[in-house]
Amino acid sequence: MTRPDRAVVALGVAALLSTVFALSPGGHLPYDFLQLRGAGLVVVTAIGILAVAGGLLRSRIVVLIAGAAFLGAAVVQLLQAGRDTNWLEGNGSTLSLLLGLGVGLLVTGLVPREHNGTRQEG
Amino acid sequence: MSVRVDEPATGALPSRVSLAVVRVGVALLWIQNAAWKVPPDFGESGGGGLYHFTRFAVDRPVWGPYAWLVENVVLPNFVFFGWVTLLVEASLGAFLLVGLATRLWALVGVGQSLVITLSVLNAPHEWHWSYYLMILAHLALFATAAGRHFGVDAVLRPALRGRAGAGARLLARLT
Repeated sequence: MTRPDRAVVALGVAALLSTVFALSPGGHLPYDFLQLRGAGLVVVTAIGILAVAGGLLRSRIVVLIAGAAFLGAAVVQLLQAGRDTNWLEGNGSTLSLLLGLGVGLLVTGLVPREHNGTRQEG
Repeated sequence: MSVRVDEPATGALPSRVSLAVVRVGVALLWIQNAAWKVPPDFGESGGGGLYHFTRFAVDRPVWGPYAWLVENVVLPNFVFFGWVTLLVEASLGAFLLVGLATRLWALVGVGQSLVITLSVLNAPHEWHWSYYLMILAHLALFATAAGRHFGVDAVLRPALRGRAGAGARLLARLT
């Protein structure tokens, strides 16, 4: 597995790990870093699984689809944050997570792959 | 076996993991605080939220020229600056979280931390070292190019190797 593929898997796993914040009761608790609930939780979980699969299968198209999906969700969250209509039930923190995962997956998906055994910069 | 003293500490695994932890921790700072920048009016109508804290720059000024700027430029156009704040802070959280263009965003973080410092340093119940530490943490992320350790920058930089274009050179400096 190349470094970009490992990075894709790591980003997908990070998305899945972020769902732990769905357990938070909400409010302004010191450890309530991220609002993730309802449809937003489903979206992050589903795209996270897709990203992990893309990394494990070394499928750049799947990775790019996952990245574009996260970025699309970020745009939806940006337009609906603080509004009565808020499909993803998120706020600025949700937007930040979706944006990071989206651009991260798109960049790692677009980076040229080197063959196994090729030395890569540390 | 001789003692080796000339290797940079940031090359060792514990240092690299520590830098990644600091980067993600600082990202979570911005992510959590993007949550209370709430559009569409960012607290202007009720005098709360971001508007409440921005007003401290005028009501309890830290630096005269900045207080003048906030009173005469920012507050009259508050919704616009509210969106700018939300976008900048959400992007800080996003890019530092995944470690992409980390040096650029570390500098943006220094700038945003300075803006916050100039707004609320004299506000009641604030701990001044919170803001100094925010600035210092971002300087550390910049100095160590923290995205090269378990970040997307580490994936991106090898692809830039040997590229001659100005864009590639700029990207190499920002990562």
